[in-house]
Amino acid sequence: MKHLWIITLLLALAVPVMAQDGVVTDDDVNEIASKMYCPVCENIPLDSCGTVACNDWRYEIELMLTDGLTEQEIIDDFVFRFGDRVVGVPQNQGLRILSLWVPRLVIVLSLLAVLWFALRNSGAGGHVLDQVAENIPTMDDWRAQIERDVRGTS
Amino acid sequence: MLAEIGFVATILAFAASLYAVAASLLGARSRRTQFVLSGRNAAYLTAVMLTVACLTLLVALIVEDYTIAYVWSVSNPNTQLFYRVTALWGSQAGSLLFWSFLMSAFSAIAIALNWREQRRLMPYVIAYSMAVLAFFLGLSLFIENPFERFWVLGGEVVEAALQPAASFAPDYARLADSAQGLNPLLRHFGMAIHPPMLYLGFVGFVIPFAFAMAALASGDLSNNWIKATRRWTLVAWLFLSLGLLLGGRWAYDVLGWGGYWGWDPVENAAFLPWLIGTAFLHSVMIQEKRGMLKAWNMFLVIGTFSAVIFGTFATRSGLVESVHSFARSGIGFPMFLFWFILTLISVSLILWRRSQGALRDDHGFGSVFSRESLFVVNNFVFVALFIAIFWGSFGAPILAELVFDTNITLGVDYFMRVTPPLFALMYILMGIAPLSAWGVSSYRRLGKSLLIPVALTLVTVLLFHLGGMTGVLALFAYGIVSLAGWVAIYEAYRAVRARMKTRRESPLLALSKVTRRNPRRYGGYLIHLGVTIIGIGVIGSTLFQMETQRTLAVGESASIANYELRYDRFDGGQVSADGRILDIANLSVIRDERVLATLRPRRDFFPQQAEGLNSMSIAGAHSTLENDFYVLLVEFSPQTQVATFKIYINPLVNLVWWGGLILIAGTILAIYPVELLATSRVRELSFGNSAASATA
Repeated sequence: MKHLWIITLLLALAVPVMAQDGVVTDDDVNEIASKMYCPVCENIPLDSCGTVACNDWRYEIELMLTDGLTEQEIIDDFVFRFGDRVVGVPQNQGLRILSLWVPRLVIVLSLLAVLWFALRNSGAGGHVLDQVAENIPTMDDWRAQIERDVRGTS
Repeated sequence: MLAEIGFVATILAFAASLYAVAASLLGARSRRTQFVLSGRNAAYLTAVMLTVACLTLLVALIVEDYTIAYVWSVSNPNTQLFYRVTALWGSQAGSLLFWSFLMSAFSAIAIALNWREQRRLMPYVIAYSMAVLAFFLGLSLFIENPFERFWVLGGEVVEAALQPAASFAPDYARLADSAQGLNPLLRHFGMAIHPPMLYLGFVGFVIPFAFAMAALASGDLSNNWIKATRRWTLVAWLFLSLGLLLGGRWAYDVLGWGGYWGWDPVENAAFLPWLIGTAFLHSVMIQEKRGMLKAWNMFLVIGTFSAVIFGTFATRSGLVESVHSFARSGIGFPMFLFWFILTLISVSLILWRRSQGALRDDHGFGSVFSRESLFVVNNFVFVALFIAIFWGSFGAPILAELVFDTNITLGVDYFMRVTPPLFALMYILMGIAPLSAWGVSSYRRLGKSLLIPVALTLVTVLLFHLGGMTGVLALFAYGIVSLAGWVAIYEAYRAVRARMKTRRESPLLALSKVTRRNPRRYGGYLIHLGVTIIGIGVIGSTLFQMETQRTLAVGESASIANYELRYDRFDGGQVSADGRILDIANLSVIRDERVLATLRPRRDFFPQQAEGLNSMSIAGAHSTLENDFYVLLVEFSPQTQVATFKIYINPLVNLVWWGGLILIAGTILAIYPVELLATSRVRELSFGNSAASATA
């Protein structure tokens, strides 16, 4: 009985502390909402969507935060309910890899194609030409143009 | 009557464009000049007829002819005159007609200007440009006709261009009462200029495309087509850049999310041709100077136009969901088919000519550090950006839907992971490439040229650091962006200094003379400087943006950074001249106990808007070069007058607009014809001579 009083006292002290720490601000909500898109609108981030439905979803985020859910858990819940269209990059592992790595792969392949093209069209090796270039007093077009400008001839 | 005039004018333009294609091709095949001449005249006629059609629709909007379905859908008796005019491109049917009008005008001017010098290319230029025009006019006539009228047929209201049998016109007063009004998002000054600029940019690329195709078809694969289209490409690029900038500004002012670029698919659709067009503008110099990359340039110019058509298709077909896109309509499939056929024909023509050896380069690559090699890397960067943005906007979402039967959105998260390294590489190249030489160049020579700009960049980074910036990423980003700017300034400075030394001219005079002698080069440097300033603005407003949301009662304040925002008063339920209901919050921005500005963020409600968006949040902003203090009214309670505000501090955001203006100025300078400058120089000289003789 004595212990029960102590526990009750501790709980009474602890609850307000939790409430204070657990205050969810609009900024907390928006930080998560900004990582998601309105599930029914046209590519509008959830934090800046002005519809009544979006207000409700933001309120849901607030409630979830109050209940102690983490950011990832909230995002997962929205993805579970509305699909991967609510996030900027899919949560589904396969779709995520497809989304992020296909363009990188294509870009790397393009780079290889450019290198192949450049080597094929280089004639003599670039390194040799670099050495030759050291000794050639080249005057490229723009420098020649400046010289002409200075001399006042066209 | 207005509907009939417009409809007939559009039909005549359509017929004339088809005739122009047939006559010019026949003339080219049979080598009979009169056919080509006739085709040219038909092309001119399309411009005249489409001017009539556009003017007719404009008059219908101004005189409030609600019997025309288009007028009814984009205006109502409360619409101000200004927005009646902009309503011409406010919806699908009108904007398609306006697009065709611009295309016909561009084509007519290009044909007239190049008629004498490019006689061999002309028949094909006419054929290709008019074929594209005919397609768009076909859409206007058969799918999205802006001249359709309302008719009552058997108790039902139907829309038709020609009066159906046994029908009668509905009561005008009832039509006026129920008229829709312009989409609220379009009731902004930026909307008066943004779409026409984008359309001018889009249709402007028809000209280089038509010339490239003409070169491929005629076999004249010399640099003629490039000389004829260089300025047109720049003009199209100028308008596209202007359209993108204005679009960003419009989003910043109207869309109410504190930013200017949301990686929205439709924004991206306009950015894609810009990227390929920019690659082409650089790459074409290699062909002019060194006779290289002939096939690649063909691919780029055709790719640019193909991106324009694809973007148009994506925006107008409902393919992607976007705040910008037009409603779903029947033009999707024809546009996709047109895009596909156009691209297929173009690529086939290139491959055919290439297989004949007609697109063989005159030179090989000299060295890794030559200007042409660096320009190729530059092209790679732009194409890589194109791939990344295309994939994020269209590729992945479409593939996910088709293959995995699921909808996905690739948003800011995706774009901020994939594109920054490419943009960084772009800025690095902007800093290095202008210093390298054509043909052969070495890293030592290049390194020597870079010494001073790099030193200036390091000083800049140090200043940023001393100013309180500690993030390595931010300092690196500012470093590479500054390098590009310093190189542009340093190159101009060297030329000016050389002239000042030898001619003893003042700095301003020397700058003016140097610029006038080579506007293309110095216009280019100015563009680089503009892009540098945009970069500084983008980095500042992206990496250092601050935001908070606060709910305040009247008289309460909120703090953010070293600013204080005080909520002074609420003016609710005000009715504007066009029927909007405005709820306005009056706020004071305070810093160091001094009121810097009063802001009036507001919510506009459109009670007559039956469907779609019926409210908008218009920001209040206090703008300085340092930052924008930007406030949105999120919600409020009329009873308690308690209001919620979203407050942003967007550092350096105004540099985006200033940089944009510099970019535009640089492009105009680069476009400015050297011949005109030469003429003015001759005039100056002759005036000088006559003045001298008068003095004598």
